[in-house]
Amino acid sequence: MAKKEFSFELKSSLSELDNLCEKLENFGQKIGLSKKLIFEVNLALDELFTNIISYGFGDDKEHIIKVTLTPQKEELCLCIEDDGTPFNPTDFATPDVASSVENCKIGGLGIHIIRKLMDEICYQRCDGKNILTLKKNLSNEAS
Amino acid sequence: MEIIEEKQSDINIFRLNGRLDSNTSQGFEQKIFQAITDGSKHLVVDFKDLDYISSAGLRVILKATKAIKREDGQIMLCAMQDYVKEVFEIAGFDSFLPIVATMDDALKSF
Repeated sequence: MAKKEFSFELKSSLSELDNLCEKLENFGQKIGLSKKLIFEVNLALDELFTNIISYGFGDDKEHIIKVTLTPQKEELCLCIEDDGTPFNPTDFATPDVASSVENCKIGGLGIHIIRKLMDEICYQRCDGKNILTLKKNLSNEAS
Repeated sequence: MEIIEEKQSDINIFRLNGRLDSNTSQGFEQKIFQAITDGSKHLVVDFKDLDYISSAGLRVILKATKAIKREDGQIMLCAMQDYVKEVFEIAGFDSFLPIVATMDDALKSF
């Protein structure tokens, strides 16, 4: 797999999720990722993007969220960058998996999903930006 | 996302088509809660044509399940595609939500 970076920008609106999906499908098809992997990458980035939009900005201004995908030999590297309030998702403990409808709490579920789907998560705060890097192992991918 | 509502005797069926995410989940939440408010006790959500779900979608399903249980009603989830079912499994929701393979199974359970 060629080591080529692919990046795009999303506006700070939930309607950009359709744009995210379209960009990932084009990228995935171009480099030959399986549908399952495209789904998983989409879900992880959706959960992060939704968190950023919901909690990241204390104003009504438009912000830009930058996404960079870098396919490497055995892993896919995803980087998501925003200028919102400092937020480190890796600080959150994984919630206990619920056993019934009554004791199921919904908080932290997005981050739990990201942890399950991705192999590595790394957070940096740099120049007033949140930079989250995710890695997904491709060794199970036939490509 | 498209939501098709249908009624078979006293069962309200919601057929989801497309993607259930934080951008579309609110519309679905309004529709399903309207049915509960209107007194429906039997709900079926048909996932056959749903290609994608995120935690925002799971949240609506969980809220609706809690609400219908409080009314002594029942909800059934059916015909999920593999990837969508996997999201329920990752969240651990498959262990306590009534997920069945087909619409027939869902209708028979009431």
